[in-house]
Amino acid sequence: MIIEGIPVPKFVERRVSSRSLAAFGLGFLTVFYIVPILFLYWNSLNFGGGGLFSNYERAFSNIYLVTLGRSFYFGALTTVVTLALGYVLAYYIAFRSSREKFLLGLVVLPLWIAYVIRYLGIQLLLFPSSPLVQLLGTDFGILFSTKGVIVGLTTVFLPFAILPIYHALKSIDEDLIDASRILGATQLRTVRSVILPLSLSGVVAGGIIVFILATGSFLAPAMLGGPSDTMIANVIEQSYSQTFDLGLASSLAVIYTTILLVLLMVFNSYVNLGEVLGEL
Amino acid sequence: MNRTSRFRFGYLPVALIVYALLLVPVALVIITSLTTSSVPTIPTDGLSLQWYGELAGSSQILNALVVSTVVAVASAVVSGLIGTITAFGFVRSDFPYKQTVSTVLLLPLMISPVITGLAIVQYAGMIRLPGDYPVLILGHVVLTLPYVFLIIRARLVTFDETLEQASLIMGANWLETALNVTLPIISPSVFTGALIAFVVSFGEFTATQFLISPGTTTVPVIIYTELRTGLTPTISALATVLAVIMLVAAVIGEVSGGDA
Amino acid sequence: MLEVENLTKFYGDLRAVNDLSFRIEEGEFGTLLGPSGCGKSTTLRTIAGLVDPTEGGIYLRGDDVTGQAPNERNIGLVFQDSATFPHMTVEENIEYGLKMSGFDPDEREKQITKYLDLVQISEYRDHRPTELSGGQERRVSIARALAYEPDILLLDEPLTGLDRVLRQDLRNEIKQIQREVEVTTLYVTHDQEEALSMSDKILVLNNGEKQQEGTPTEIYDDPSNRFVANFVGKSTRLPGTVASHDPPQIDTPIGTVPTDTASLDGFDPGADVEVFLRPEDLSLADAGDGVLRGSVTNVEYLGTYSEVLIDAGEGIQAVLHTSTSANVDIGDEVALTFDPSNVIVLEA
Repeated sequence: MIIEGIPVPKFVERRVSSRSLAAFGLGFLTVFYIVPILFLYWNSLNFGGGGLFSNYERAFSNIYLVTLGRSFYFGALTTVVTLALGYVLAYYIAFRSSREKFLLGLVVLPLWIAYVIRYLGIQLLLFPSSPLVQLLGTDFGILFSTKGVIVGLTTVFLPFAILPIYHALKSIDEDLIDASRILGATQLRTVRSVILPLSLSGVVAGGIIVFILATGSFLAPAMLGGPSDTMIANVIEQSYSQTFDLGLASSLAVIYTTILLVLLMVFNSYVNLGEVLGEL
Repeated sequence: MNRTSRFRFGYLPVALIVYALLLVPVALVIITSLTTSSVPTIPTDGLSLQWYGELAGSSQILNALVVSTVVAVASAVVSGLIGTITAFGFVRSDFPYKQTVSTVLLLPLMISPVITGLAIVQYAGMIRLPGDYPVLILGHVVLTLPYVFLIIRARLVTFDETLEQASLIMGANWLETALNVTLPIISPSVFTGALIAFVVSFGEFTATQFLISPGTTTVPVIIYTELRTGLTPTISALATVLAVIMLVAAVIGEVSGGDA
Repeated sequence: MLEVENLTKFYGDLRAVNDLSFRIEEGEFGTLLGPSGCGKSTTLRTIAGLVDPTEGGIYLRGDDVTGQAPNERNIGLVFQDSATFPHMTVEENIEYGLKMSGFDPDEREKQITKYLDLVQISEYRDHRPTELSGGQERRVSIARALAYEPDILLLDEPLTGLDRVLRQDLRNEIKQIQREVEVTTLYVTHDQEEALSMSDKILVLNNGEKQQEGTPTEIYDDPSNRFVANFVGKSTRLPGTVASHDPPQIDTPIGTVPTDTASLDGFDPGADVEVFLRPEDLSLADAGDGVLRGSVTNVEYLGTYSEVLIDAGEGIQAVLHTSTSANVDIGDEVALTFDPSNVIVLEA
């Protein structure tokens, strides 16, 4: 079917450019995302008694600082674990397996399933009457502990580490690997001096994504952690919906967002995050 | 294959651990939904669909399924539309700091959904946006837009622009060209993008918990709330339903966008 | 009729086309010939309205179309890579332009049948372009560009990427179709063979500037400068100085070359020149005769003739086309003669 005879008036013709289409999308996100976040900055200020920045005084109190620190600590820990596991698996899929597509598909598959379901599955795996726990006689104290949070974050974010590393490994010119072998390098040396440096971009990209996502996680500590494993997202949610302390919630959100934006700017100067995310 | 065949690295155990971590939890959810026991364990004495029957009997759960579907479809349509227009604008124009600006479009993907939820629920109150469907859909559009943008941008980058030039020269104006040439050719990717938006919206919990009202509770929120009172096979069954819908949508999306 | 007046196009600081003017008469087949980057494609795209000129005007059948959008000009364009719509059948591809140009359904049907017939792809009417071979796809794009009867047909290196035999077939067909439809045509190519065989008029371009405009015979037999002489056709090239006008002679490193008076018009004795001799104007003579002598370095059999390369000394390589029955082998010492009136003399 061909659609025809739609007149485009001259003034529209002149005004609608590709740039204006980009501006439309950007405008939408500005009005319904950027501005709401800017309002958080506004809401975080205290206009009642007790000083304009009194919310921040509370936010910077010890327990919230510890929570904030814990978020980044958990994020870093998750990053290290996922990168280590992810690199080995990516290497295996890229160079060793004969069913690359299938194995890669199994990595991508869980991405289509809601986080809440995947964390539920981990609970089912570790709760007292689960077959695994029955079999081993213990869950090693994983459930509702720091270990539980890290296991959960690792499970959920592993694909984000595996995929960029896999793409980086696949883009290495195989001739280089051959050349290194012909020059007499051992396998291990080839990995260390050729493959690892050349796949570093994927490691960095995967690490950044996992770190950012894990740091902001709400569900992992909420579903798998103990009372002392709360992360910044949990505290923000609690102060909003349980203690109805909008000022505190906003100021914590502002602190987290600001730190993350700075980190993103730093990261973005190393790797093009848009390109990395586009590859997933 | 040969060059690494003598490699004794021990990655097979690691591969097994990784795949176990990725797949066992999901499998467990599905399996425990079929148990005959009242605790969600692996069924040992036969399978049962009784917990699915329980789902079907709960008006609260059926209502949540309707809400989730309505919100996900609406988000997919709106995100698909805005995402296509935006991706088009970005691929076809050049302006200073384009790279940086396009990273801004991906922020909802990177900043915790808690922030998105909190920011949007407060903002909606300020601009008097009705507190049920509109807020929820708006929040989900913001969260799904980056996915659609990325998918369609990737497709447009490889689009052969001479096809549009041919159309223009044959007498079509740019609107006719967009509708007759560009859109039909990129439509598989638009469809894929919209389905991905559907999937993301359907499973979203963290931001959603800020945006729901009593009448617009979604399935992931029900699962999370029910979990507070303990694990049950019914939750597994509901989670399985959710997972199946998401997977079916994702597979349709991937298959239909084959060339993208 | 197409008129291009003082066309100049800058891309940033880069001048792609410089003050180019030419005219293609109604029904005439014109060709822009030149190496890649000479500005021929830019010129074509400017005429199509895909590129805005920096300066100058474009006139179609007397109307100034310079500021018009592509869809406001009535133009047919055959792209280098066909650019057929992959989501439409062959028929729909052709119908598209007819619809956009406001043909009614009966006329559309008539035109589709006529042009499918003309390019001999009627049997593929309901196929998608993706199911067709490269050559068939070009035919679709030619039919598509002609069906709505544009004021001018533009072809942008339409034979690129096809094999040699197919190129030759299509070349002849395009020319035939053009004659039959009597559409004013502008053809862009870097292939001198295509240009010489198809055109009524050729414009040779280099660095965005017109080098020469003329019929294929004028371009080949009477090139106006060394660029044209080198770019169009093969030659034996001899540097030299004008020795005298009577008798008309030129001194070259390998001896004195006789020429005719007309070829020395405008050159003073002692002027530096370059002598060009076309391969088919040379003929084999007995050793000892002629100016050009040397040993055969290569013989290439080309079916209807052979191309013979001769090392004439002083770094000069002579090239000769001779009948395949001539008995020449590599290493043979030969001499070459030519009619002095065929000598091309150009400013060095």
